[in-house]
Amino acid sequence: MTDQITRVVIVGGGSAGWLAAGIIAASSPAHVQTTLIESPDIKPIGVGEGTWPTMRATLETIGISETDFFRECDASFKQGSKFSRWTSLSKNDDYYHPFTAPAKYHEINLAPFWLRFKDKINFANAVCPQAAICDLGYAPKQISTAEFGAVLNYGYHLDAGKFSPFLHKHCVEKLGVHYVGANVIGINSADNGDIKSVATDSCGNIDGDLFIDCTGLQSLLLGKHYAIPFISHKDTLFNDSALAVQIPYSESAGSGGAKAIASHTLSTAQTNGWIWDIGLQSRRGIGHVFSSAYITDELAERELRNYITPAVGQKMAEELSVRKISFNPGHRQTFWHKNCVAIGLSAGFIEPLEATALVLIEISAKIIGEQFPLNRSAMDIVAKRFNNTLGHHWQRIIDFLKLHYVLTQRTDTEYWRDNCRADTIPDSLREQLELWKVQSPWLQDELLRDEMFPSASYQYIYYGMKGGTVIPEMGTQKPVQMKKLKQAERLFMENAQHIQQLKKVLLPNRDLIEKIQQFGLQKI
Amino acid sequence: MPNFALLNNIAHKDLRVVRDHSAQYGDNEMWAVTFPQEFRAIQNEYPIFFQKNSENGKFIPVALMGLRQKENLFLTDSGWDAQYIPASVKRRPFLIGIQPARSDQGSNQPSRMVYVDMDSPRVSNTAGEAVFLPHGGYSPYLESIVDVLEYIQYGTELNEIFGDALLQHELLEVVSLEITLKNGSRNNLAGLYTINEEKLNALDGNVVAGLHAKGYLEFIYMVLASHANVMKLIARLEARLQNQ
Repeated sequence: MTDQITRVVIVGGGSAGWLAAGIIAASSPAHVQTTLIESPDIKPIGVGEGTWPTMRATLETIGISETDFFRECDASFKQGSKFSRWTSLSKNDDYYHPFTAPAKYHEINLAPFWLRFKDKINFANAVCPQAAICDLGYAPKQISTAEFGAVLNYGYHLDAGKFSPFLHKHCVEKLGVHYVGANVIGINSADNGDIKSVATDSCGNIDGDLFIDCTGLQSLLLGKHYAIPFISHKDTLFNDSALAVQIPYSESAGSGGAKAIASHTLSTAQTNGWIWDIGLQSRRGIGHVFSSAYITDELAERELRNYITPAVGQKMAEELSVRKISFNPGHRQTFWHKNCVAIGLSAGFIEPLEATALVLIEISAKIIGEQFPLNRSAMDIVAKRFNNTLGHHWQRIIDFLKLHYVLTQRTDTEYWRDNCRADTIPDSLREQLELWKVQSPWLQDELLRDEMFPSASYQYIYYGMKGGTVIPEMGTQKPVQMKKLKQAERLFMENAQHIQQLKKVLLPNRDLIEKIQQFGLQKI
Repeated sequence: MPNFALLNNIAHKDLRVVRDHSAQYGDNEMWAVTFPQEFRAIQNEYPIFFQKNSENGKFIPVALMGLRQKENLFLTDSGWDAQYIPASVKRRPFLIGIQPARSDQGSNQPSRMVYVDMDSPRVSNTAGEAVFLPHGGYSPYLESIVDVLEYIQYGTELNEIFGDALLQHELLEVVSLEITLKNGSRNNLAGLYTINEEKLNALDGNVVAGLHAKGYLEFIYMVLASHANVMKLIARLEARLQNQ
């Protein structure tokens, strides 16, 4: 068979290239040879530092030791996100989006039962112990929990600059990925319009059957070579710029609190954007994401420096260097064209509000590895499905991110007021919001078997931002309702007890990470 | 909380230790740490499994004495009903502590010192066995304790390297003991690990020879043989429930 697909060529390194290489090499059929071409001159953008819990399964699939990952990637635990000042300007305005779903989520929707008590306890704290554990700064597992095992669901914060070399080493040494260090200088087409090979400056032509474009924002293969149109979503999600800075933990003696590593991403709304705050072992990564249409770089930088001043002092806050990243929020019209698939920034990028960059890489590479087209004619069918799935995911990402904005009660700037304007809200989201007024988000909101965001995430954001649902009268109770009510009451009580139990057995985040450094986690 | 004091024959000249075994002296524990050198004696009476140390996640072998929390089925009104009592129980209330090397004493070796838990209910000035002789020398009892502590010290190091060898060959696996008693009550013992027999039987001959040369093969089979004692524990529990 001459049209067999055996050679995968990944163009570009970075988190996208090396994650894709690892996942495809580990999950594709045995006869597939994976090659990665990386330019020695182009530095990866290196900003994606938050993952989803999916990364645990991904690392395990690739065959990486979680202990090594913690030791070599400056990694820490991420149990979700905390959003501050998104709903109002009040100092204590915040809510959590934890990774752990509400108790017995697939059996019972607790939201309608919680709504009766919404003035007494916030949604996340009523249905799940994770927000309370995050507030305490505790880790989501114990030193006796096996690698990738969890007490509470978690993902990671990591140093993207260390993650790529770490994956590189593993891919080449353990998974047999062929590495080519060269610059791609041209693309050679086959008669059918496929890419036949890529020309490099120092290693000649590299032939392949399937090319993966991981060239970042320049989108060399899909964007430049195939000219697949880019669809901007700036009208919905305004942010197009980021200013990033790294700050050290306080070194002052006895400052256990100041050296604590938060086990969630802290996202604090600003006048025209928001600031991310990610705690790694050795430093914090902080960045201001904003819309250049509403605020100048200078003013955005001022807000960023003001944010870090309490942690590092006035002098250092003024001196630390800040890096600017510009992006057009959106994605390509299709992602797999002919024998070329774009993964990572080359496929698209939208603000990092829910850390969707790395998880999209994982999902894309997983589909390629698991549904690997054995011949050229199968490829077009796999490609069509891939485009449908990814297109759906992008649309859901856009809706979900926009959800964080549309419920705000902030009216302090045009940015927040415009975010609530009807013409900036996609129809699909507007429909959901209409429905949620009378029907609480739940499993019926998951249209695909493999939705990126479980409906539990909609609950956490919707009720976190004080979205309401009219609950039907419980006056004439049917027996099935009574049973559910009893179950809900029991689960609320058990959740409160669960928090107390976890407090006794979990450690502060940094303490557990230091134990992992010292003893390692067991494989079983 | 234990309150460990460095043992010395002046401050502790009148110290006595109760050697009886009962719940009031803290013997009502469902498991005790054990060590490979005593596996042969342990496997005659107790099931041996592995547990993770909650401080560092390392695997340690334990002798099971009960099937429910805070219940030692070997404890009777007349003491500990067994031929052999685990060394980690016999040592109580003493412990070896390592003192860092002190340059002012001309020694650059860390020294092992005997500590005593002054808050242990075994500690007394009136009842039990004398720790020191009237003139301050070690009593035969203390001599025997020092031997036990040395034995434990060696065993602790052996546990570490034995555990590493088991992990290296992936010879440990999770085991879940679900025990249903005659009265219908169910006990689920979680957090236990044991030898993976499938992996053991598939080991390469050279690896087996290596394990044998170090004496580990014997330890491994002692652990496997000890599992028959789970039935004996169940019988003890059934008998206890019937007499209640």
